[in-house]
Amino acid sequence: MNQAELKREIEHRWHGRAQCEYYPGYLSEVQCERAVLPELCGKLFLEWGLSFAGLVVEEGQTDWQLRYIFYGDREAGWVHVLIQAPLSEKKFPSIVKFVHAVDWHEREVEDLFGLHFEGHPRLGDFVLHDDAWQENVEPMRKGFDAKIAMQQRKPDEDWRPRRIVQEPGAFVMPIGPKFSGVTECVHFLLESVGEDVIRSTPRLFYKWRAVEKSAEGKSPDEVLLLAERFAATTAFAHGLAYCQAVEKICGTSVPSRAKVLRVFLAELERLRQHAGAIQEICESTALVVANSQAGIFEEDLLRISGELTGHRYLFGLLALGGLQCDLPDAACHKALKQSEQTLAQLNQLEERLRVSSSFLDRLEEVGSVAWRNAMVYGLLGPIARASDLVRDLRRAQAYSGYETFQFDVPSEKEGDGYARLRILFAEARQSVRIMQQALAALQSGSVREAVKVQAGAALGWVEAPRGGAFHWVRINEGGKISRYRIVAPSFANWHGFHLAVEKFAFQDFPIMLSTFDLSVSENDR
Amino acid sequence: MGWLGCLAAIFLLLAAVNALYFGNTFVQPLWALRGLTTLTLSLDRLSAVFLMVTGLVLFPASIYAGSELNRQPHLQHGRVFTVLMFGLYASIGLIFIAGDVVSFLLAWEVMSILCYLLIVSAREKQNGHADSGYLLLAMGEAGTLVAAFGFLLLAVQTNAFDFTGIKAGALILDKPTRMTIFLLSFFGFGVKAGLVPVNFWLPRAYAAAPRAFVPVLAGATLNLGLYGILRVNADLMPAIHAGPGLIALVIGTLSALLGILYATTDNDLKVMLAHSSIENVGIITAGFGAGMVFVAGNHPALASIAFVTALYHLANHSLYKTLLFFGAGVVETQAGTRDMDRLGGLIKWMPLTALGFLAGTLSIAGLPPFNGFVSEWLTLQTMLRSAELSETSIKLIFALCGAGLALTAALAVTCFVKVFAMSFLGMRRLEENQKVVEPKSGALVPIFILAVLCLVFGILPTYIIPSLDSALTPLAGASAAENLVPPFFASNPDHNTLPPAFLQDFHNLGAQVGQSILPGRGLVVLHRGGEQNPVVFAMSTSYMFVTLIVLLLLTYVIVRLWLTRRRMLERRVRWDGGVRKLLPEMTYTATGFSNPVRVIFDAVFRPTTVEDTRETVAEHFRTAIRREKERVHPVDKLVFRPVQVAALWIAGRLAAIHHGRFNIYATYALLALLTVLVVFLLFQAS
Amino acid sequence: MSQWVINGILTGIKTTGYPAKKETAPGVTPGLPVGGNYPGDKINALIERCPTRVFSDSDGQIIVENRRCIHCFRCVRGIEPPIGWDSNYETGRFHDGQHEFGQPFHRSIHICVVDAGDCGACLNEVKQLNNPYYNMHRLGFFVTPTPRHADVLLVVGTVTDHMRVALQKVFDAMPTPKRVVAVGACALSGGIFAESFVCSKGVTTVLPVDVEVPGNPPPPLAILHGLLVAVGRKAPALSEPTKNR
Repeated sequence: MNQAELKREIEHRWHGRAQCEYYPGYLSEVQCERAVLPELCGKLFLEWGLSFAGLVVEEGQTDWQLRYIFYGDREAGWVHVLIQAPLSEKKFPSIVKFVHAVDWHEREVEDLFGLHFEGHPRLGDFVLHDDAWQENVEPMRKGFDAKIAMQQRKPDEDWRPRRIVQEPGAFVMPIGPKFSGVTECVHFLLESVGEDVIRSTPRLFYKWRAVEKSAEGKSPDEVLLLAERFAATTAFAHGLAYCQAVEKICGTSVPSRAKVLRVFLAELERLRQHAGAIQEICESTALVVANSQAGIFEEDLLRISGELTGHRYLFGLLALGGLQCDLPDAACHKALKQSEQTLAQLNQLEERLRVSSSFLDRLEEVGSVAWRNAMVYGLLGPIARASDLVRDLRRAQAYSGYETFQFDVPSEKEGDGYARLRILFAEARQSVRIMQQALAALQSGSVREAVKVQAGAALGWVEAPRGGAFHWVRINEGGKISRYRIVAPSFANWHGFHLAVEKFAFQDFPIMLSTFDLSVSENDR
Repeated sequence: MGWLGCLAAIFLLLAAVNALYFGNTFVQPLWALRGLTTLTLSLDRLSAVFLMVTGLVLFPASIYAGSELNRQPHLQHGRVFTVLMFGLYASIGLIFIAGDVVSFLLAWEVMSILCYLLIVSAREKQNGHADSGYLLLAMGEAGTLVAAFGFLLLAVQTNAFDFTGIKAGALILDKPTRMTIFLLSFFGFGVKAGLVPVNFWLPRAYAAAPRAFVPVLAGATLNLGLYGILRVNADLMPAIHAGPGLIALVIGTLSALLGILYATTDNDLKVMLAHSSIENVGIITAGFGAGMVFVAGNHPALASIAFVTALYHLANHSLYKTLLFFGAGVVETQAGTRDMDRLGGLIKWMPLTALGFLAGTLSIAGLPPFNGFVSEWLTLQTMLRSAELSETSIKLIFALCGAGLALTAALAVTCFVKVFAMSFLGMRRLEENQKVVEPKSGALVPIFILAVLCLVFGILPTYIIPSLDSALTPLAGASAAENLVPPFFASNPDHNTLPPAFLQDFHNLGAQVGQSILPGRGLVVLHRGGEQNPVVFAMSTSYMFVTLIVLLLLTYVIVRLWLTRRRMLERRVRWDGGVRKLLPEMTYTATGFSNPVRVIFDAVFRPTTVEDTRETVAEHFRTAIRREKERVHPVDKLVFRPVQVAALWIAGRLAAIHHGRFNIYATYALLALLTVLVVFLLFQAS
Repeated sequence: MSQWVINGILTGIKTTGYPAKKETAPGVTPGLPVGGNYPGDKINALIERCPTRVFSDSDGQIIVENRRCIHCFRCVRGIEPPIGWDSNYETGRFHDGQHEFGQPFHRSIHICVVDAGDCGACLNEVKQLNNPYYNMHRLGFFVTPTPRHADVLLVVGTVTDHMRVALQKVFDAMPTPKRVVAVGACALSGGIFAESFVCSKGVTTVLPVDVEVPGNPPPPLAILHGLLVAVGRKAPALSEPTKNR
């Protein structure tokens, strides 16, 4: 439904208790009462088919503001549901019964801000581990004093893992945080009675660097560095989302050459990240030649990126208002040609993998995620599209000129490991297709527009290689960042990871982990 | 209890040694029973072997029982228990030296009842111990009845009630009679021994029996059933066709397999050991069966080997099973629980107990240089020797059973690795406030006595085998000692009857090393083949033991004095993946360890799901996953339950005639009288 | 399965000639800034422009502390004149002057890689060491998952508060002799996250570091160089701040 219908429905159903204002073609803001909030959000999510992007909590001078961000396709646009309450109020209703995707958002807010969500059955021990920090440490509050918090630390000595499986002889197998060869640090608690994993509980935030807190009080230029570097394997995508948020606040219109080059570089990054994900999958199944081949492709693309931009991970190219420096056309065409060659080799790899039955045996029907679960958990990116949950921000809420390019959004129905692998290959093909169109549409011009920093708040979004990323930025009167909220795609995907793992043997676990292409640094910030 | 019991055991041992080594066997008639028979006592070498084993087991068991009773100051219960135990000792002794059918059965009945009384006298707070005791009694009576039928049939057919008479008369029995008697005695005594399909009382009874009694139950009374089988089918009535032997072989293998499967997947220390007893009894029975087939097939040497092996295993089993039950009892009293999922790390607090228990575990798993290795190895070698038989079908059955026994040996290793590791090693899983200390010497001394005996039986098989052999030669018709422990080692080399090629092979094996230094007969047990292949296999656990000691010392010396001279020896934190604290619930449980066996043999276990619920809150928050599976033992399912159902049905029908009214019963009496009169008149007339 | 064998053989040899030969393919390294002469009136602007204070002024000469460089390129882009740039990737060096690691490190080594809070790029570059282009196995470097078998501990990432215990446990579980190699700007100085209250200012505050490899992320060749310095097969970069080359 479109924005006008939305407004009508909302104001009709919750007459007097919810007001909806909309800015045509862009955003609807719904102010509602606390009691109405769960039902309203449930309607948006389950009945009217909007997706949940994130929950942003801001501590104002006198009030809390909770912002629940939903989005649909072009017609429905963005829907922000807002709740205000005085700072003394610490209890809020939980909407988790209706929108299960908000589960981890509310847990994070409880840990970092100290707000309690009534009705949420599992708050606590999330970002701030109970066996490292005591309760009532609220680092995201404005008045937080880090020195005192560190001095007065009292970890819980009697911490025990939560046991879900109640079967005689069940035990909790710990994996990590240091495990395997070269992996990120994440802790798993696998409940089992012997051979099968009955329940998996990941314990994340071992890498929590408090990026959102560090950003407060810095200038937008400095925070761009944080945005690029907190999850560097998809640095350009996150940096782009941040830049778009700030450019929206400041009303800057980015020159068209910069827009097209941004698209080109974003797709190059997507191609490279997908090659890396394919390499991980081949490595986990121990298919050595395919692993080496995919490794060659990833290194090729890293070198292409490095040669084109000076940095293999595309650091230092983005700037507020465009790009920091221009890229010569000839270099771009060379990079495109090399990418096309790499893509041809990737296609050949896919053909070979398609007929390797021992490889497929380990992926087919392993780690399946049903559509309904994917929807309820709000999964994003290629893994959601493998479960037939198609919502690509490049299509649904096009940005940076994507609406002018022709491309398909591939999807599969099985939702198992093999479907996810096929999506990766298909998206790689589409990326190159977009890159070709981008260079064809490239015109000369400047690549940077000066940005006049002013106060305001806006959401920037991007379809990162792992799924939709949402950056909410608020700049205060002094021209400094007062709130920076990052919702990374891995946050939602880690949430839904346990759906795939349950009921499979220990040996399948690393394979399912690799097919999900999860990033711990993205989730942990 | 302790001292008197030890004294009794010493008497038993003396009697046995007297008969076995000095040849003082006797047949002593006692009282004549008019119309029936003369009650006779007869002690021959076979009984002496069993008496010796029993004596070796009862000696430490008495000490242990004494210390158990002292631990619990229920004086009343203690006195009753002591009296009953001594009665049991007496009845066991009597069974072994019974020389005729009637005294045998009398002693057997007394033993049965005493066993039942000992179990239910415990009056501890365990549920169901009265039921288990009752089941033991019921099954025991059923078995006694069937065995008695067998005996009576034998006695009637051979027209004698004493064993010597029966043996003389049994030669003329024909095959169907023999088969009937075999079946009756095999399954009748099999109840007491613990063979499939009549052993479903065993795990329950062992679980319910008090700690002081269970070792005797496993180490002494189990042997009675095997004694009965052996006496009837190998001594009184030697086999002339292969049928009975094959049945024994197959049933033995099945018991062994089922027993070890259930032992591996059970977490209760006592119940698991009970299932393991079933397994060992199965191996012994398979050995008996093999021996009977060889006797029937006219291979007396092989038969002798088979019988010797089976008896050796019987002796070994008594020793190490008693030891393990001591250990289980100690664990239960000191740690408060028998559930292996909740034990762990006890070696830190009970190192001596752990050492003794380790000896028992290594023995039962069949690892050199302990005794289990010798008897398991000999059993498998015997199965292999079936290649010398003529009939293909018999050879096939032997091959399958041999494979089955090899499988049980492998599973036994798994099972007992699990037992020792989950109870004594790893992290402690008990509650914090449970104090665990080393038990008093009253419990430790018996453990160490048996541990030493296990080692001795393992490294000196060359002394054990001839003793057993002297008892079994009359049964098999030939001596096995020649084949297993050649007199080459005898101090008198003139007794050398072996071919030169054989001697040469022998020299090449280095088997003569140390003959002048080491006392007594040599240290090698070898399995001798035919003309073509003089030495089939040679093995020396004594050498192994010595080599093991030497290697360990050498390793220690090398490491300590040379390798670590210039480098430091460091103790570092345990690597656990970097978790902040490794908790007991993060360690492998006994269930987890044995889960692969459970999964692979799912077709045998066929568990039914009792509960499989998933609790959720708010539709997606899983709060609990509860799963519970129930297993019904196949024997229970196929034998016990149907019998139960049938018995109840019959009882139900019969109940129809019990109205409870006096008039009806008077009518029944009148009817019965009339019927008898009519029948009498009819017969009188005809 | 023969298709894989043929495919592998037909791909040919992709491995770089490094360390025997210099690797000159484009895109293998982002390079690092280089100090030296700089117009005196613009020095302060340059020093201010760097977000992590890489530059300092010593008598009109720029001194570069490349442990802190996060590759934002603001010292070469958008500023006139741009700072000197060096595409050399052999940047590994000793932390504080120790030059001889001893015999156990002269042959092949087993490396335990610990991620103590990195952004993903450094770890990805370490992962690239196993692809056919770099193939660190041919140099005798192997990755082991357990610290018990490890000779060298390779740490990436600024040590976050939650990972402190784990990292310390890895170090404690390694048998002596052992060495620590810190890779990346975050591991050397905390990088862009140094001010965060849950991040330490580099691995040097937690463990004794032996070899440092600067960069954000250092390219695989630089990491290889660092490892070769650790086994004494390559000379380290100069420990003093780089001067005019």
